[in-house]
Amino acid sequence: MQVVEREILKKELTELINKYGSERSALMPILQFFQEKYRYLSGIIMQETAHALGIHPVEVEGVASFYSFFKTEGKQGKYIIRLCQTISCDLDGKSKVARQLENELGIKFGETTKDGMFTLEYTNCLGMCDQGPAMMINDRLFSKVTLDKVSKVLADCKKDFVKSDFPTVVPSDVKKSGPILEHGVKPFESLKTALDMKRSDIILALREAGLKGRGGAGFPTSIKWQLAAAAKADEKYVVCNADEGEPGTFKDRYLLYNHTDIMIDGMTIAAYVLGAKQGYIYLRGEYRYMKEYLKEAIAKRKESNLLGDNILGKEGFTFNLEMRMGAGAYVCGEETALIESMEGERGEPRNRPPFPVDTGFNQKPTAVNNVETFIDAALICAKGAKWFSNIGSDKSKGSKIFSISGSCKNPGIYELPYGITINELLKEIGGEDAKAVQVGGAGGQCVPRNEFDRVIGYEDASSGGSIIVFGPDVDMLKVAKNFMEFFVEESCGQCTPCRDGNPKLLEGIEMLEEGRCSYSYLEELLKLGETMQISSKCGLGQSSPNAFVSIVKNFQSEILGRVPEKV
Amino acid sequence: MSEKLLNSKSRAPKSTTPSKVNIPTNLEALGALIKISIDGNDLKVPMGTTILAAAKTLGITIPTLCHHEDLCVAGVCRICVVEIEGMRNLQAACAFPITSPLTIFTHTRKVRQARRHTLDLLLSNHYGECYSCVRNNNCELQALAKEYGVDFYRFGHIEKPKRGQDNSSYAITRDMDKCILCRRCIRTCVDLQEVGVYDALSRGDDTYIGTFMDSAMSDLICINCGQCINRCPTGALRANDPSDTIWDAIDNPKKHVIIQTAPAPRSAIGECFGLEPGTPMTFEMNTAMRYCGFDKVFDTNFSADLTIIEEGTELVLRLYKALVLKEDVALPQYTSCSPGWVKYLEHFYPEMIPNLSSAKSPQQMFGSVIKTYYAEQNNIDPADIVTVALMPCTAKKFECNRPEMYDSGFKDVDFGLTTREMAQMFKEAGIDLPAMKKSDFDDPFGTMTGSGIIFGATGGVMESAIRTVYELVTGKRIDDLFEHANIIPVRGFDGEHFEGVKYAELTFDEVGPVPAILAHLVPNWDWLKGVTLKVGVAHGTANAKKVIEDIKAGGKMSECHFIEFMGCPGGCLGGGGMPIPTDEKIRAARARAIYAEDESSEVRKSYENPAVLKLYTEFFTDGPCGHKSHKLLHTNYVNRGKKVV
Repeated sequence: MQVVEREILKKELTELINKYGSERSALMPILQFFQEKYRYLSGIIMQETAHALGIHPVEVEGVASFYSFFKTEGKQGKYIIRLCQTISCDLDGKSKVARQLENELGIKFGETTKDGMFTLEYTNCLGMCDQGPAMMINDRLFSKVTLDKVSKVLADCKKDFVKSDFPTVVPSDVKKSGPILEHGVKPFESLKTALDMKRSDIILALREAGLKGRGGAGFPTSIKWQLAAAAKADEKYVVCNADEGEPGTFKDRYLLYNHTDIMIDGMTIAAYVLGAKQGYIYLRGEYRYMKEYLKEAIAKRKESNLLGDNILGKEGFTFNLEMRMGAGAYVCGEETALIESMEGERGEPRNRPPFPVDTGFNQKPTAVNNVETFIDAALICAKGAKWFSNIGSDKSKGSKIFSISGSCKNPGIYELPYGITINELLKEIGGEDAKAVQVGGAGGQCVPRNEFDRVIGYEDASSGGSIIVFGPDVDMLKVAKNFMEFFVEESCGQCTPCRDGNPKLLEGIEMLEEGRCSYSYLEELLKLGETMQISSKCGLGQSSPNAFVSIVKNFQSEILGRVPEKV
Repeated sequence: MSEKLLNSKSRAPKSTTPSKVNIPTNLEALGALIKISIDGNDLKVPMGTTILAAAKTLGITIPTLCHHEDLCVAGVCRICVVEIEGMRNLQAACAFPITSPLTIFTHTRKVRQARRHTLDLLLSNHYGECYSCVRNNNCELQALAKEYGVDFYRFGHIEKPKRGQDNSSYAITRDMDKCILCRRCIRTCVDLQEVGVYDALSRGDDTYIGTFMDSAMSDLICINCGQCINRCPTGALRANDPSDTIWDAIDNPKKHVIIQTAPAPRSAIGECFGLEPGTPMTFEMNTAMRYCGFDKVFDTNFSADLTIIEEGTELVLRLYKALVLKEDVALPQYTSCSPGWVKYLEHFYPEMIPNLSSAKSPQQMFGSVIKTYYAEQNNIDPADIVTVALMPCTAKKFECNRPEMYDSGFKDVDFGLTTREMAQMFKEAGIDLPAMKKSDFDDPFGTMTGSGIIFGATGGVMESAIRTVYELVTGKRIDDLFEHANIIPVRGFDGEHFEGVKYAELTFDEVGPVPAILAHLVPNWDWLKGVTLKVGVAHGTANAKKVIEDIKAGGKMSECHFIEFMGCPGGCLGGGGMPIPTDEKIRAARARAIYAEDESSEVRKSYENPAVLKLYTEFFTDGPCGHKSHKLLHTNYVNRGKKVV
C-alpha cells in the first residue's frame, strides 16, 4: 500500500514541478495542492516533496506547520468549517454559533467528525466584519450566521450545496462612496495615460499627490517606487499585498472584486516605472474563493494585450502577472514576511535593512504595495496629483476606504477623506454612543470617548482601513483579551519580545479577569508593552501591545478589581 | 566549480542570510568609510559593517545570544538591541549593517529595559535548574542573567517541563525545555553541515525547534557531528555522557581499563581549565588519566599511523587496478576516519559507498588491536578489557556502537568520551590539569608521531598520507619537496578551489624499489612514474557536499585520486566534543598547537612508526590489506538513504 502511495505521490510531484518549477518558491503551491487533495500533509508527502525540491524534510514541515491552512496531522473532513473568532464577529455573537455548531456535529473545535465529513476550526478575521458572525466552509463564505441558519447550512453541505439557498458570492456593503470608488475613469485609461508619461513624471505625480501606503504603515509610494526603480538589477518585481488580515478590515476584498482592472493597471504602471517584468498578487488563503476570479481577470487582460509583451503597443514593455496564495498567516501581511512566504519559506519577517526595494523577492528589488495603493496610484496617473491631494489633511492626503464594523447602526465600507475626526466618523456611521473606537485593527489604538476629537490619519490615529466601534456595553477587558489571543497565535514566533511577550500580556489579562493582578505588576506589563513596541523585529510585534496598552491606560476603573465570574 | 553549484543558493531561510550590502572594493577613493559614533566615541567603519562589529573594535561589549561568529545573521533574540538617534525603535546590533552616518547608544534606559525584559522573558520559559545542568558556568544565558543582575523571575517561571528530553541518540541529547529558540542549531545543521535535522516548527507561542515529525534523534538523518552542541548557548543540546559507567569500570578491580587519546583533545582540554586555546596538555593529561585510575594510557597516534598504512595501501591498490589492470574501481578514494562524514555519505550519497576507504577509523582500529594483539601479548582476557576512547567527537560515540564494530569478538571500543567529559572527570577527581606533572604514553604503542597528531586538523590525514606514500613510492624524502615535510597546500581552513575545499597535486617524477611491506601487493612502481597524484581536502559536510556535487557534475574534483573528508569545520579540532565555545580563532589556535607538536616529533612519517612496524611483523604478518588486517582493521558500510518515513 505504502509503495503504491509513494509512486502516485512521485508522479503527482513530477507534474507539480513541471507546473511550478523546482525552486523552493514552488513549495507553497505544492503543499496547497496536497492539502486540498489528501486533506492533510503526511510525513511521506512532506518527505517526498522535500526530496523533489532538494531541501530537507524538516524544512518542509517547518513551512507546513507555520500556516494554519496546512495540517500535518489528522486528516481533515470533507467540509472544513472555519468560524471567524476575531473581535467583530465575537461581538456579533460568534460564541453562540460556535456552541451550536458543536452541538449539531457532536464534536469540539479542532476536531473532525468520525465519518470524515466535517472539521470544525476557528480562524482569524475572514474579512466579513460588517456582516458577522462569519464562517467559511471550504471555499464558500457565510455571513450573518444566525443560530437557526447553522443546521440549514450543515444540511446543504451534505447535499454538496446542490439547490442551496445560500448565495455563492457574498455582497459587500458599500455605505458611502467618494472620488475613489466613483472615479469614472474609463477602463484602462490610467494605464494608457501612464504609458505615455515619463517614468520620472509618474514618480513626481505620486509625490505631489502625497500618496502614502494604504496598508497602514504609510510609507510614501513615490519614494518606494523611486528606490526600486533606481536599484540596479537584472530582474525586479511588483507585488500586490492582498493579504488583508488585519482584524476589522475588509475593504481590499471589495476592491479586489469590484475594482480589479484599475488595481492591475496600478501594478502595471508600477512595473513600467520599476522596469519589472514580473508581478504577483499575493492573496490571503481566507480569500481563496476569489482566486479563480482573479486568474480569469489576468487571463482576459493578457488576451487584450494589457499584460504580456509590448503592452498596449509599448515597444519592449513586458509585464506578466501571477497569483500566489497565502495559507492562513496574518504576519504575511508584513512585506518581508510576504516575500518569504512567496519564496516557500515560513512567513518570518526579515531583518531590515536591506529593504525589499533593494533586496526583495529572490533577492531582487521589489515593490510591495497594498491593493488600495495601486488603485490610488493608477487614478492619480489618470486624474492628476491635485485631484488626489486636494482631499485630506496636510500629512494625510487623499480619500481613504474604511472598513467599519462593531457597535454602530451602519457597518460597512465607507470612503472618507483622511483627516476626519472620530466624532465626525461616528456621526456618519451611526455610532455616537460608542465608548471607544479601535483605529487600525488589532495592532492599532483603542481611542476612548474623551479623545474622539482625534484625527484619523498618519499624523494621529493611523489606520489602514480598520475601524471597530465599541458600544457602551462592550467589556473592554474582553476586547483586549481577544486581541491578545490573536497575537499570541499570529506572532511568527521568531523574536523573543513578540513570541514570549504577548503570552505574558495575555496572562496579565487573565489575572485581571480573575481580579488578582496587582497594580505594580500591571505597570510592569505596560513597560513590557513598551519593550515589545521598541525591540520587536517587525511591525507585528511592535504593534501587538498597542491595544493592551491603550485599554489598560484608558479603562483602568473598568478592568481593575474584578470579582471573578462564576462558571 | 560546476555551473549548477555556482547558481545554487543557500537553503538557509533568507531572513537569516547575511544582510546583503554591496561593499565597493576601493573604499577610500569612494569615501565609503562611514563616520559613526557609539556612546560618544567617533570612529569610521567600512560600509556594511554591523553595529556589533563596530562596537567590538571600541571594546564595547554588546550582549548576544542568537549571534554566532560561524553562522549567518538571525537577529531573532533581540538581546543585542541598541538605540540609534532619530529612530523610534531599537535595532539589533548583530543584524544592522551601517550604510549611513549613525549616532548609536548601547546602554540607554530603553536599551537596558529591553534587554532585561528579553532576558526575563527567556528565563520565564527556561525550565531547569542551573546546578543540575551540564552547562553550569559555561552557559550564555546564565552569564547574561548574572551580568544583568537578574535576581528574581519578573514574569514568573515555568514550573513543569513542557517538552521533555530525547536521550535516544548515542551522541546527542536534546532537552528542549532549556531551549531559548536562538536557532543556532538550525543554522549550524542546515548551513554548516547540510544535514537538516532541525527547523522551527509551528508558529507563535507554540513555536519550537523540532525534528522531522518529532522523530527521536536515533531515528533521524543525523550524522552525530555534535556541531549543534558546540553552538548551543544553553544546555538544551549536550552529548550523551558515559562517564558514570566509565567510573564504574575503573572502580571494578576485575576490569583492565584502557584509554586511547586522539590528537585533538590535547590541544583544547586546557580551555576547560581556563587556559588559552592552543595550549597543549598532552603529557599533563597522561598523568591525570592515570590519576583517575585508567590502567593504560595509549596514544591514538599509533592507530592513526596504522590507518595511513592501511588506507594508503588501499589507495595504491585501487590505483594499480585502475591504471595497470584496467579494472573498474571506485575513484577517488574517500577517507573514512570521520564517523560524521561516513554517516553523511551513507545517508545522502549511498551510491558512493564504494569510494569510501574500507579502513576503519583510528579509534576503531585501536579498539580491535587492543582486544586481540594487546590482550594476547599481555595475557588478559579481552572480556575484562574496557576500552575508552578520548575523542574530540560525538559521532565516535555512535561509531563505537555500530554493529560492524565487534571484529575482535567483543565490542572493540566500549565508550567514546569527549574532551569536555574528560575535563569533567578530571575535575571530579580533583585534578587541576595545568598543574599536573608530565608523563609519557604507555608502551607498546607509546611513540607519539607527528604524522598521527596532525590527524586532528583538516588536511592532516592527507598530509600524513602524502608523506608516507611519496616516500614509499619514490624512495626519496618528501622534505626535499616540502620544507620540513610540511605540506602547506593541504593545511588551513580556506581553499583556493572553492571555499573550505583544498586541492593539491604531486607528481611522482621518479620511482624507487617497492618496500618489503608492500612487496606482496605490487611488482614494481614503474606504472606510477610520471603520474600526478591529485588530492582534495574538505571539512564540514556542507563543503563535502560541494565536492561530491562537483564530482557528480564531472568538475575538477572528479579528477582527484584521494580526498580527505572531515565531518566538522576545521577537522577534529572543531569536533562536536570539544570545549565550548568555538569559533575560527579558537580553532586556528588549536591547529597551531597540533602543528607545533608535529614539528617537534621525532617520527613524522607513519611508516617509520616503530610500533606500527612491529605490529606488522608480529601480528598482521600478511601485511597491510592482508587477510587478517581485513578482518580486524577494515569494515563495511550501510546504505542508509534519505528516508525517515
